[in-house]
Amino acid sequence: MIKVDHLYKSFGNNEVLSDISLEINKGDVVAIIGPSGSGKSTLLRCINLLEVPSKGKIYIDNDDITTLNQRNVIKIREKVGMVFQHFHLFPHKTAIDNLTYAPIKVKQNSKDEAHRKAIELLKRVGLSDKADSYPSRLSGGQKQRVAIARALAMDPQYLLFDEPTSALDPEMVKEVLDVMMSLAKQGMTMAVVTHEMGFAKMVADKVIFMDHGQILEVAPPNEFFSHPETDRAKEFLEKVL
Amino acid sequence: MGIFSGFSLIASSIPYIINGVWTTLEIALVSAIIGFVLGVILSLFKIGNIKILAWMSDFYTSIFRGTPLILQLTLVYFATPQLIGYDISAFLAAIITFGFNSGAYMSEIIRSGINAVDKGQFEAAGALGVPYWSMMKDIILPQAIKKILPAMMNEFITLTKESAIVSTIGVLDLMRRAQVVAAENSLYFPPLIVSFAIYYVLVMILTILGRLFERRMSRSD
Ligand SMILES: Nc1ncnc2c1ncn2[C@@H]1O[C@H](COP(=O)(O)OP(=O)(O)OP(=O)(O)O)[C@@H](O)[C@H]1O
Ligand SMILES: [Mg+2]
Repeated sequence: MIKVDHLYKSFGNNEVLSDISLEINKGDVVAIIGPSGSGKSTLLRCINLLEVPSKGKIYIDNDDITTLNQRNVIKIREKVGMVFQHFHLFPHKTAIDNLTYAPIKVKQNSKDEAHRKAIELLKRVGLSDKADSYPSRLSGGQKQRVAIARALAMDPQYLLFDEPTSALDPEMVKEVLDVMMSLAKQGMTMAVVTHEMGFAKMVADKVIFMDHGQILEVAPPNEFFSHPETDRAKEFLEKVL
Repeated sequence: MGIFSGFSLIASSIPYIINGVWTTLEIALVSAIIGFVLGVILSLFKIGNIKILAWMSDFYTSIFRGTPLILQLTLVYFATPQLIGYDISAFLAAIITFGFNSGAYMSEIIRSGINAVDKGQFEAAGALGVPYWSMMKDIILPQAIKKILPAMMNEFITLTKESAIVSTIGVLDLMRRAQVVAAENSLYFPPLIVSFAIYYVLVMILTILGRLFERRMSRSD
């Protein structure tokens, strides 16, 4: 379980997250939505310590990660995978090498083992034939599927997605969402920052609506989308739906 | 005396001059390797968050950039025996000076390459739990170096040409050998123009090799 407890984050004088508390249960899919600049990415990045929180606690499986030293930060990163809007595949490595690098380097998997797992994961995201392709030879949707497979190669217990389809051409959004949906079905615990309201409605167990660094609403999707409580959420939904 | 008779007079010495190419290349190559290794280390210090190392690296760089190379060379060659009692050879003085000097320039080039790597690469590696040094070695530096290959090739060519000043401490490189032949025959134009031509051909060859290498390296794009 991930538990965020009265979290604050400031960049200089700019308070970007203020008093954020939330829980993500094992197996749940949480969709985080809200206007641009509301702090969604920053929240996600705090959860795997790509940003250091200014105040408050974050617990992952009951361990407070805000007090960890460098070595244990790596343990958390193994547990919590991340998928970025712009993929960030390693351009000088082939798809399969993108997948095997961290398991070999960080988890000390044997080359054979890492390779076997990578082949299987590429199959799972429908890209068996692209194993030896460099990222520059892949379409946006394919890159993002490789990026998801790369995160999965570390056997994470939690996956964070930061707008995984926002940089994609419309016709490629579905192939990525399909992969994410099948992950959700298999019980992966996921926090997804997204503008895909259809995905949130269909897959999420819980929708978190953020604005100006605060969580304004937490509700199951059918409730949130049919009866948003705050004016901000109503305004936002009018704009995006 | 005509130019051509001048050439025929030194004809037997031309191979001697040409063979200086190996000394010149050896100095350039060894210095480039020292410079590269130093440059990588210094650039990592510069971008790292240990303030004292960053400061020392900047200071190191400013020293080598802020003084004449020929003075650095002279100092290393003539002052080392007096300071530490070690009778340094001209060749060693040459590669130390050029290597350390090149390290200063190389560190700036490599730093600019690292800064040009997409920040997302650091984040992706970080998010996968890759330790800092592995990330630098396996993810960041290969991409950085690819971006700065032309600048590094330039640095190597500069090194090759500038190495001519080792002639001032008596290393028998291309330049020095031309001077030796000139002095022996009291004849300047033919031997100097021979070394002139060899430097030029050498630099052209290096330029072409550099382009081929770059093309090879850019295959993954
Ligand atoms: N590294 C940083 N330094 C300074 N300010 C930052 C930094 N990262 C984010 N911010 C600021 O924090 C605020 C929230 O940014 P964040 O990226 O978390 O928003 P977001 O909800 O993800 O927006 P978007 O939908 O556009 O991605 C913004 O005002 C942004 O300018
Ligand atoms: Mg964002």
